[in-house]
Amino acid sequence: MSLPAKLRSFLRNLFSSHRVDADLDHEVHAHLSMLIDENIRAGMSPDKAQRAARMELGGIEQVKQQVRDRRMGNWLHSVLSDCRYGVRQLRKNPGFTAVAILTLAFGIGANTAIFSVVDAVLLRPLPFQDPSRLVVFHEGVPKMGYPKMGFSPPDLAVFAREQKSSNAIGAFQNKHVNISGRGEPERVAAARVSSSLFPLLSVQPILGRIFAIDEDSPGHNVVLLSYGLWQRRYGSAPSILGQTIDLDRQPYTIIGVMPQNFEFPLRGTEDNGSPADLWVPMAFTPAELQGWGGSYFTSVVGRLWPGVTLEQARGEAESLGPVILASYPPALTKVFGNADLKVSASPFHEEVVGSVRTLLLVLMAAVGFVLLIACANIATLLVSRAATRQKEMAVRTALGATRLRLVSQMLTESLLFAFGGGILGFMLAFWARNFILGLVPSSIPLPRHVALNGSVFAFAIGASIVAALLFGVVPAVQVSSASLQGPLQERGRNATPSRSHHRLQGFFVASEFALAVVLLVGAGLLIRSFGKLLQTNPGFRPENVLTLNIPLPRQAYPGAMQIQNFYEELLERVSNLPGVQSVALANDLPLNAREMVSIAIEGQGSGEGETPQAICQTWVMGDYFSTMGVPLIQGRSFTAADRFESQPVTIVNLAAAKKFWPGESAIGKHVRWGVNAPWQTIVGIVGDVSQGPLNTTVAPHIYRPYNQLPGPFLEEDPFSDWHAMNVALRTHADPASLTSAVVAQVHALDPDLAVTGIQTMTQVISSSVAGPEFNMAMIAALAGLALFLSAIGVYGVLAYVVAQQTHEIGVRMALGAKPGDVLRLIVGRGARLAGVGGLFGLGAALALTRLIKSMLYGVSAIDPLTFAGVVALLTIVALLASYIPARRATKVDPMIALRYE
Amino acid sequence: MNPEPTSLLQGTLDLLILKSLATDEMHGLGISRRIQQITQGTFVVKPGSLFPALHRMEDEGWISSFWGDSENNRRAKYYRLTKPGRKQLEVETERWGRISWAIAQALQMP
Repeated sequence: MSLPAKLRSFLRNLFSSHRVDADLDHEVHAHLSMLIDENIRAGMSPDKAQRAARMELGGIEQVKQQVRDRRMGNWLHSVLSDCRYGVRQLRKNPGFTAVAILTLAFGIGANTAIFSVVDAVLLRPLPFQDPSRLVVFHEGVPKMGYPKMGFSPPDLAVFAREQKSSNAIGAFQNKHVNISGRGEPERVAAARVSSSLFPLLSVQPILGRIFAIDEDSPGHNVVLLSYGLWQRRYGSAPSILGQTIDLDRQPYTIIGVMPQNFEFPLRGTEDNGSPADLWVPMAFTPAELQGWGGSYFTSVVGRLWPGVTLEQARGEAESLGPVILASYPPALTKVFGNADLKVSASPFHEEVVGSVRTLLLVLMAAVGFVLLIACANIATLLVSRAATRQKEMAVRTALGATRLRLVSQMLTESLLFAFGGGILGFMLAFWARNFILGLVPSSIPLPRHVALNGSVFAFAIGASIVAALLFGVVPAVQVSSASLQGPLQERGRNATPSRSHHRLQGFFVASEFALAVVLLVGAGLLIRSFGKLLQTNPGFRPENVLTLNIPLPRQAYPGAMQIQNFYEELLERVSNLPGVQSVALANDLPLNAREMVSIAIEGQGSGEGETPQAICQTWVMGDYFSTMGVPLIQGRSFTAADRFESQPVTIVNLAAAKKFWPGESAIGKHVRWGVNAPWQTIVGIVGDVSQGPLNTTVAPHIYRPYNQLPGPFLEEDPFSDWHAMNVALRTHADPASLTSAVVAQVHALDPDLAVTGIQTMTQVISSSVAGPEFNMAMIAALAGLALFLSAIGVYGVLAYVVAQQTHEIGVRMALGAKPGDVLRLIVGRGARLAGVGGLFGLGAALALTRLIKSMLYGVSAIDPLTFAGVVALLTIVALLASYIPARRATKVDPMIALRYE
Repeated sequence: MNPEPTSLLQGTLDLLILKSLATDEMHGLGISRRIQQITQGTFVVKPGSLFPALHRMEDEGWISSFWGDSENNRRAKYYRLTKPGRKQLEVETERWGRISWAIAQALQMP
């Protein structure tokens, strides 16, 4: 029925069903009357005539019902019968059905799982009111190698005062605190936030209130709890409001609890990306507010005024760089004048998802490829099966089925497959997404849990339909277009499939290999990158080194003397433990260096003063370099004699020595910290140690004796890790076995101290490469799956070809072909398919791999070794997959084959 | 319900109805008798099949209906072939030729 006619009939039946019914009633009654007339004319009595007429008619109501059924349900009827027929077909081939549905379930499940993450991270706006108006601001000193940093407290004050593009500016900073009182002491992630932050984000507490403006200054010890912490530690008691808890042994009053789904700072925020368990006011100290030229750690977010564009905000931010610089004390302004301080703005969403976008898009593409391969696989199976069903189709055509009807019948079967696979896949995704997210290392800012919502479900349905069309249309059209005469005239049990079937299957299998090759090349590149990463010399010997972090609460250890004495004593005690080779103390560890300072180098710079140079700084105590296994290249190491009273000394790494004193020895040269500090003498040069991820180049680094850290600085501690030092010990035996002994020594000194961050340096290395490892594992797993499916594809096609051509093979062998010839024939066909597909795949890979350039390290995106490796792997797999059916072909007994028909 | 016999019956019945309306417009009973006549009694179309078919074909736009007086002066619903119906008759006729040829071939197979 044409669409307009269908519509007309539908409307007629819908809106005038009463009139239509009356009309039908008249018609049937008239028919009955005429039948009676006819019978009477034939000589029957009126009585008999009526009875005969009624018998012929078969019941007025039945006739009417049949008309109604026909009218209303024609379309529905054919759909239902297609479905019933389809289900019957699927049940007739349970093996085929199971394989196809499982393949699809994996394909659709993987796609849905990844999509649910993409949806949650990339597609959904940030969970704040009007999130598109939120921007983040960064300071940067590109000339010193820091294009993007947070704000320092004094700079933030100037920026917040001068800027006009945002109606509010909020600031936040991650930190860790020890909670004690009411339950076990524990160390949790916290954040200092400005009082303006929560109003700016438009979030309300579910209990209590948020910070008042006057609480955003030192001396106000108030805290907001996260829902999770409130539930976990305080049993969701509403009475918690107004109670006091100890944070770093200082009493804080609980003023509110934030909502359950509120997570802040958001993962992915540069420098401050750890969701906090509790929030305290930012309350910069006067010392912080005067710390010009350092501590660029505070993240800053703003809400643009209505009508202000991002471009305008960027322009304004840029113009404020010099303004901030002008606010520095004159001596520093001079020094920083050359450094070119910049302020930049970018959308908040971009900041948060920027680092995972490539990964997610690459994963989405990879699972898409896997689904395509799965579809191609099922399509080849369907083509094989369709060939054997050609006769059935021909008979049905002969019996009046239209071509459209046959295509729709076969598509219904495909849709049944797809929905079966889709439902299973959705269930798989339900389970798999959180499993996958559980594998994500903390260095990759992805949520730990995502919800399956309507759009994810719609995606799964959509993916199923697209899949059904992808693998269903071509075989359906192919079969239904077969000529009528051919199959019916065939004498054999099964029709010999036409050449076009083989071509079609060949096309599908070759496409599978092409897609698989792209994934394999991507996986190969990531594997090679990861290998290079592991081979990278971190600059220290990680074996047999245990590290522990021992933070000292400020309240219990207010003075520099107390702090330094505690650590000195601890070092002494630990070094006397059996099995300890050497022991040291450092405020940060290799691969996690955080402290960044600008130093002046004596005699370098313009006439105005020395040019500041950014440099990593680590404060150490004890035999740091021998404990970490960092080679001393020149000069001496620190000794116990390097104390506050003695001459200030430093040790630099090779990178610093080469950069600042090229062509001369750095030993004996002088540097200083800030403008008026005393000069420090360089007494030694050590090897380069990676400060961050292994794939970054080593920056200049300066080491200083912890005992020479000026007391007032230590007491103020803007870096907050000078009173949270790491103990590192090199051991003779398994380093982890000394953990309890070291903790016991800590508690012997102070039983209330929390010991955190217990890890061996080997663990530090493996967690630093966890991100690349995850990328590699995910892509490699998908590539493996793709290769496996492709191998099944080529195997399936060849097995089918062999089964179909048993007769031909028998004839060949009867005519003297050797088993080797037959083997070559079949394997050759498989190799050709894989070869053609592989070639296209390599071409596509050449064009596509540059998209993952940012995920690579130490290999080029067109690394010849990787490409060659993939070709080798592909060849082996294709030959293996072809060999099994080929061997079966060689076992064909000519006599049986010839009688086979 | 098995689709095959329905398709056969439906396709054949459609063809026969179209054919009988090709020369003249007539009511349901007339069509039924005409089919009986032109198939020499092979097909007897019961109202239970005839009316659903007529209504479906009207929905398809192949035939149209109007109320008129029968030869015995009874009000009866008359059907006539439309332009698409004439076209359909050609298509069905051609298709039937193919089918009968194919069936004949099939039946001749050893």
